[in-house]
Amino acid sequence: MRETPLSNCERDFLLKGIQEKKRLDGRQTYDYRNIKISFGTDYGCCTVTLGKTRVLAQVSCELVPPKDSRPTEGIMFFNLELSPMASPGFQSNRQSELLVTLNRQLERCLRNSRCIDTESLCVISGEKVWQIRVDVHVLNHDGNLMDAASVAAISALCHFKRPEVAIQGRDVTVFSPEERDPVPLSVYHMPICVSFAFFQQGSYLLVDPCEKEELVMDGLLVLAMNKHREICSIQSSGGIMLLKDQVLRCSKIASVKVSEITELITKALENDRRARKEGGKFGFAESIAKERITVLTREEAPLDTTDIQATADGIISKADAPPEVVPSPVIVATGTGQVGEGLENTWGLEEDDEEEEMADVTERKTKEDEVMVLSDSEEEEVVILNQDGRSKRSQR
Amino acid sequence: MNAIHSCFKAQIGEVVLPGDVFQFDVSSVEEDSNIKSEKIVCGPGLRRNGDEILVYKSGILRHKQPSMYWIDSQQKRYVPVKGESVIGIVTAKSGDIFKVDVGGSEQASLSYLAFEGATKRNRPNVQVGDLVYAQFIIANKDMEPELVCIDSCGRANGMGVFGAGGFLFKVSLGLVRRLLAPQSEMVKDLEKIFPFEMVVGLNGRVWVKAKSVQQTLIIANLLESCENMTAQQRRALFKRVAEGAL
Amino acid sequence: MAGLELLSDQGYRLDGRKATELRKVQARMGVFAQADGSAYMEQGNTKALAVVYGPHEVRGSRSKSLHDRAVINCQYSMATFSTAERKRRPHGDRKSSEMSLHLKQTFEAAVLTQLYPRSQIDIYVKILQSDGGNYSACVNAATLALVDAGIPMRDYVCACTAGFVEDTPLADLCHAEESGGGTTLSLALLPRSENIALVQMDARLHQDHLPALMEAAMEACKGLSKVLDSVVRQHLQEVSVQTRE
Repeated sequence: MRETPLSNCERDFLLKGIQEKKRLDGRQTYDYRNIKISFGTDYGCCTVTLGKTRVLAQVSCELVPPKDSRPTEGIMFFNLELSPMASPGFQSNRQSELLVTLNRQLERCLRNSRCIDTESLCVISGEKVWQIRVDVHVLNHDGNLMDAASVAAISALCHFKRPEVAIQGRDVTVFSPEERDPVPLSVYHMPICVSFAFFQQGSYLLVDPCEKEELVMDGLLVLAMNKHREICSIQSSGGIMLLKDQVLRCSKIASVKVSEITELITKALENDRRARKEGGKFGFAESIAKERITVLTREEAPLDTTDIQATADGIISKADAPPEVVPSPVIVATGTGQVGEGLENTWGLEEDDEEEEMADVTERKTKEDEVMVLSDSEEEEVVILNQDGRSKRSQR
Repeated sequence: MNAIHSCFKAQIGEVVLPGDVFQFDVSSVEEDSNIKSEKIVCGPGLRRNGDEILVYKSGILRHKQPSMYWIDSQQKRYVPVKGESVIGIVTAKSGDIFKVDVGGSEQASLSYLAFEGATKRNRPNVQVGDLVYAQFIIANKDMEPELVCIDSCGRANGMGVFGAGGFLFKVSLGLVRRLLAPQSEMVKDLEKIFPFEMVVGLNGRVWVKAKSVQQTLIIANLLESCENMTAQQRRALFKRVAEGAL
Repeated sequence: MAGLELLSDQGYRLDGRKATELRKVQARMGVFAQADGSAYMEQGNTKALAVVYGPHEVRGSRSKSLHDRAVINCQYSMATFSTAERKRRPHGDRKSSEMSLHLKQTFEAAVLTQLYPRSQIDIYVKILQSDGGNYSACVNAATLALVDAGIPMRDYVCACTAGFVEDTPLADLCHAEESGGGTTLSLALLPRSENIALVQMDARLHQDHLPALMEAAMEACKGLSKVLDSVVRQHLQEVSVQTRE
């Protein structure tokens, strides 16, 4: 099926909006959409929603003979699939450019950065090693698949547990989870991809492009980093001209984003672990917010279109701005993590009555947040962290 | 006749599902129709089969005096219907026709002569990627749909190429119908916030343009969020926006 | 590869180079008669052959043609005998298709494609011998081939790799240095404007070291551009001697 073509009118409008620092969903230049991480009932199963983009990762393992060149190392295998279900433009069984790029980037981000201890996956040297297979399926495409896929893959790897084995001579016994507790993988660090979209020959830059923005962008720069501020991979694509300074600036932004996302993943993992330990409910069914209509609902408050720059300046100029209630990370249901509900979305409209507007907005947002959290989950566990990072970000 | 009306009556405004049956007695209807030749019109979602009327779409049963019944369903995919006005995106120019994407199963064709004042010599200036507001003159399951940008008198009547500076987005077909309803409250409420231009195509595409990018975005987002809001919620929301804007 | 010392205490690398020293570069243009442009490139032991056809009509389905610029079509392949282990598939696997894609993106940035709407430019590159820096050898060879074909470009595109060992950036890595698992940065640069057409990096590197590494790679690219420039000049001289009266 063909994709809906992009009209000139949309293209012009998007570019004009980007010039004026206005995005379709009211985000700021460096803002991510809501990220929500939830785990399935099985170990190593994870879905990530990034705005409307939705990705599922499943980790599985298998005993295989090792590669000749590396007899003592386990094998990591990554496979990302773009199912036609995610977007009408995707076709199954076709090696599209997007698919190749995503797959290679995922491999580069997770395998080449050696985030998993592959040597611990060796069972008998030269004969049997564990092959860890990560399947990432894109369920809904609304831009920035790379970031969503990398978060899903690494969260799933952290969540995964492989069966315990015992070796007697040359015999390998694999124990079922009932006999012996499965063992988690040893994860050294968590590389996370951050995508930057460039517009108008690199003069404008956005973090986390949505689908429409991806259609009009000139090129993409994907940086994978971990929270120790180590860069795990860089990849530019799409015929753009970059300057060295731009790359360096992106790496600084990425390090901030990565530490936020890492914190979220850890929170989500922690939460899932607790839920399992307490014998509470976990898995996707539990983490899906209970809503009466499931088909036609939209994300809450998508109407927040703001005069972003002005609002941001307003926040900076008023040092004692009323404290924004920004729940980052929030746990909406058991076994999940979520960040950035409500963003810095305000209703700022004209610049004249900035001050009044600000107060009004914050108040309203507080209300909104309350309502949302309550309606979303029955047993609400809300963790509200202080929001130091938030004000920092708006200054940039 | 009343027999039929009465079988519908209980369900008007209620949700009906595919497979629901409305039964009436054929003999009584035929008797009636001899006296007063009145017809029942089955709109989208209803189909007659012998002496029963079957529902084939899920949605709300609607009735219009004197005898029109149809199902209001929430649908996203557009199916071309003759006479409907839609917003299309020009995807290709080939020979004498433009290919236009209307969101249906197939691209529609639009002759370059089907514009006001267009002749063989004087071709309209249409580029690939432009938006056109046009009407279906052929929409048939067996044939390629065809659009025109003129009415039967050869006048543009609001149709043609448009769209500089505004923003196009897609909403569900149900919302579009609500927007296009005469004296739509939603549009009235929106107009109170600030002035803007709007083009609504029956294929679910809406184009808006306001004074600034900011205002255009607000209108677009408000419209998208109207999708599942009650009138009360909507009014409250619009009021908040209006207060902020004024 | 823990046993291998990539940088000795005296500051020499495995093959006796200094940290910022490039490998020997040799190149020739116009090596084939059939093609519109061709070039052969050696960077140390890495050997690449590039052939350019075009601009010509779009082959295959018409739908691929763009109404405002030329399409660039790249195919990267590695000769079956190019590596120590014999390769089974010369092209078509994930890595090669990625490489083709990267080459395409690099040259889309550098070639003035808008001068040839509705046409296609083919770039075929083959690695004859692989010893690290395949991507950069391909880019450099393809640049020369494009110059040979007379296709307008913004500037030379020069590509080079750089690594990072013991706080020292190393330019132009060879295979042994690349496979050690250390950081590898590939950079395609338009040297005059210092615009980066493509950047790619693997393995971990602390953020603070990135500027130094990029600087080293850019310097290496600029060094390469001088070599390429002299190759082009020499080639033109040779050719024009015959045409000059």
